[in-house]
Amino acid sequence: MIISVSGGKGGTGKSTVMVNIAILLAQKYSLVLADLDVEDPNDHILLGVKLENREPINIMLPFVDYKKCIKCRACGNVCDTGAMLLSPEGIPYVIPRLCSGCRACYYVCPTKAIEEGKRTIGYTYLTNVDMDGISFKLVSGELIEGEEHTPPAVIAAKERALNIDAEIHLIDTSAGTSNTVATAFDNSKIVLAVTEPTPLGLHDLELILKLTSLMKIKTFIVINRAGIGPEDDHVKLSRQYGSEIIARIPYSRDVVESYIKGKPIVLYKKDSKISQIFYDIVNYLEEVVNDD
Amino acid sequence: MVNEMKVAFATEEKNGLDSIVSTKFGRVAYFVIVELDNDKKIKDNYIIVNPGGEARSGAAIKAVQKLLEEKVAVVVAGAFGPNALVALDEMNIKHIVLSGVKVSEALGQITDKL
Repeated sequence: MIISVSGGKGGTGKSTVMVNIAILLAQKYSLVLADLDVEDPNDHILLGVKLENREPINIMLPFVDYKKCIKCRACGNVCDTGAMLLSPEGIPYVIPRLCSGCRACYYVCPTKAIEEGKRTIGYTYLTNVDMDGISFKLVSGELIEGEEHTPPAVIAAKERALNIDAEIHLIDTSAGTSNTVATAFDNSKIVLAVTEPTPLGLHDLELILKLTSLMKIKTFIVINRAGIGPEDDHVKLSRQYGSEIIARIPYSRDVVESYIKGKPIVLYKKDSKISQIFYDIVNYLEEVVNDD
Repeated sequence: MVNEMKVAFATEEKNGLDSIVSTKFGRVAYFVIVELDNDKKIKDNYIIVNPGGEARSGAAIKAVQKLLEEKVAVVVAGAFGPNALVALDEMNIKHIVLSGVKVSEALGQITDKL
């Protein structure tokens, strides 16, 4: 079963919620955590582990066989990313950084002058996490700095995670509601939307709820930093989209301390009020899952 | 011998030679194309829409592609990104960094560089 965590706004606590839930669920179930925030994967930092078992993420890069090229301009005209620049004579010139590896030029070329090369845009990692006797696997996707095309990296990391047999796959997504997030959500049973009582938190929560309702994925809301602002509109959104608010995590010094120690709070301070809230979230998720 | 040449100026306005040269290149709205004769005197000018302005990605490349179609030899804007520089260099279009003045004034300032 796949459970995803998102929330739209950056820095709202998605990854903090995710790693704590991962540790609690891993006590009972075989579990893989996939960090698909490929532009800035940081679950390993919150878990205090070093990334291991690196594999490259390769996408197709066109090479032009200029002997076969008839300067018909078909490749340049079909290219959507601007990676195929045509000289005044119609000779194609490939700009690798812009290429998304979609192969449109390859398919459209009438003389098979486009050859398939490859280019590394990022890496996936498979890290064994073992903390206080609790173990699970962490798969992280990482885009090379300067690369623009996130979906191939998200897909590669997600595939590597789903190829590992486990009872639960947890997916941590990036901020926003782009195709990167939608790709990460795909096939999820449940989405946890982490938000905060701020205008931006509210704005991005609505975007996430719209997205998950379009994708028909059951969504629950977690309000982080509860108490720092009004939540009336969050409650309205919750009713409007039929997405229950299942937890409110207040601002707490314990969380900051655990963050500084590089150890998730459910391990760092088991008796903290905040840890108890994570136990409640996990119990709730288990009930929902068992009801199905 | 150098013949007549075309110079493109990036701009957000459609005021002909009175348009202010923009700081943007790839995502700028228009280009004012100025045609110069052998004595570097203005022969004609017209405005084209930059397809890069609305592009989802590779804006600079689409802008360069358009300039190639127009047979532009020199382009003037306030800044050029890495993709723009690669493409302009590869296609032998000269770029000059200048912005914030009218096209007519800009032309006066760059004449010796043409």
